[in-house]
Amino acid sequence: MNPNQEESPYVFALPDLFEIADDGAQIKAARCNSCGTFFFPAYHEQHRPDCSRENVEQVLMSKVGKLAGYTTQYYMPPLPFKTEKDITPYSIGLIDFPEGIQIAGIIVGSEESELKIGQSFETTTYRLYQDDEGRDVLTWAFRLVK
Amino acid sequence: MRDVSIVGVGMHPWGKFPEKTFVDLGVKAVGDALKDSGVPWKAIQAIGSGIYIWGGNAGHLSGQYLAAAFGETGIPIINVYNACATGAAAIRTAYMSIASGEVDVALAVGVDISPAGFLGAKSDDPKQDRDVLRWRMVGMPNPVYWAIECTKRMAKFGTTEEDLARVKVLLSQYGALNPNARYKKVYTLEEVLNSKMVSYPLRLYEICATSDGAAAVVLCASEKAAQYTSNSISISACTMGSAIYGDPTLRISALSAPSHAEAPLLSESYSASQQAYRIAGIGPEDVNVLELPDNSSWHYLQYLETCGFCGEGEAEKMLRDGETVIGGRVAVCPSGGFSSFGEAIGAQAVWQVVEAINQLRGQCGQRQVPNAKVAMAQTYGLMGNSATTIMKR
Repeated sequence: MNPNQEESPYVFALPDLFEIADDGAQIKAARCNSCGTFFFPAYHEQHRPDCSRENVEQVLMSKVGKLAGYTTQYYMPPLPFKTEKDITPYSIGLIDFPEGIQIAGIIVGSEESELKIGQSFETTTYRLYQDDEGRDVLTWAFRLVK
Repeated sequence: MRDVSIVGVGMHPWGKFPEKTFVDLGVKAVGDALKDSGVPWKAIQAIGSGIYIWGGNAGHLSGQYLAAAFGETGIPIINVYNACATGAAAIRTAYMSIASGEVDVALAVGVDISPAGFLGAKSDDPKQDRDVLRWRMVGMPNPVYWAIECTKRMAKFGTTEEDLARVKVLLSQYGALNPNARYKKVYTLEEVLNSKMVSYPLRLYEICATSDGAAAVVLCASEKAAQYTSNSISISACTMGSAIYGDPTLRISALSAPSHAEAPLLSESYSASQQAYRIAGIGPEDVNVLELPDNSSWHYLQYLETCGFCGEGEAEKMLRDGETVIGGRVAVCPSGGFSSFGEAIGAQAVWQVVEAINQLRGQCGQRQVPNAKVAMAQTYGLMGNSATTIMKR
């Protein structure tokens, strides 16, 4: 699932949400230095009431967090969810990052029966499909830290 | 503020009606509500109408389209959208028009024809609409959100798959007795537990379908209600709530939530219900009939806590002990709930009120809640919005 970037050209399914890191990926969020709120994506601002909304900075999230909640989806959602083929069943996890924010994403490499709340997961990428130009179209995903 | 009463209710049964338009459904509901109230169409002085989001420009002006069918009279028609709370927002619009003293009689209506299958995104710009992100990047239909909250609950309180199935078993018994319900089959625990998994741990029969339907209510200043009917029910509170900063719920559309709770789960519904209790001077201990938004079995359990009917982690026990049955401490969804009706976004909050009124009037036959005096209709709502209506005989 984690593409070999050396050989395979890739493109993000949507921009400004995550970055490729040496050994996986990091989610791009933002932090308001006035009220302390983390938010994701960085372009959907959220603040504590009465915050001045000044000094917002983009931050890269920690790579690893803990599973706070999850599900396994047994029916393919309609477009605009696009994958190469029917990928059901696929699991979705809500990962609790040390920054104080939980982020949802597809879980790769684990069966439903292996999932337990509290397990450590690292951020990686997942190839949704290949576009017309042969590029891997990527989203972020989470993989169990073994 | 003047006291306001509901003097008439009407609805189109829930189901799938591919041969009908939203106007067809709405005309049936409004026509029945007018007839039930004794209020002539020309006496309606304001309309609050739920926006039908799948209906293009017409759906966004649903009130105008419905009024045209009955004969346009020049009155204010306000079309409102608040996701699952849309119908309650329409009722509140009508309610406020009367409570403020501007008019004496008003109509509220909600109509919906749902698209088939999972509800999808309605725009394609992720910078403006978070909904685009959850679909394109993670593939998250609404039940995924409910399932994630449900696994959190299971880990925290030990909720079992049997608890989730038990909700459907109970509601199917009530739906079977409701002529307006879409699903009338009674299920056993085994049948529910053997139904297909949709979003673990939620199974097919534990998630509401999407339906077509319409409901309408006629409201009148309480002091003038006797002019039209001897069957009026007063509204004790008609409130709306929005989310509170620090709410730990992974809200539909969002891809993130705060790790540390600084507000209750489902804070918008907590807010709406707390406001209603304060205004009505009525608490959950006084409520005989509760129509809550059972979009899934998780909702049924969670809303009992969110609205203060039991403490945190106690809903499963309340259900197992039979406190939520007709004849129990509080009858929960004696209509059969969304479980038996399916959701029809723009219409369902009005329908919840219609079911509550039928109970307070004592018109529910075999599923009548004995001695029902106080009823509460509670909505869910996308993106942090919710409504509560408390009614009293």
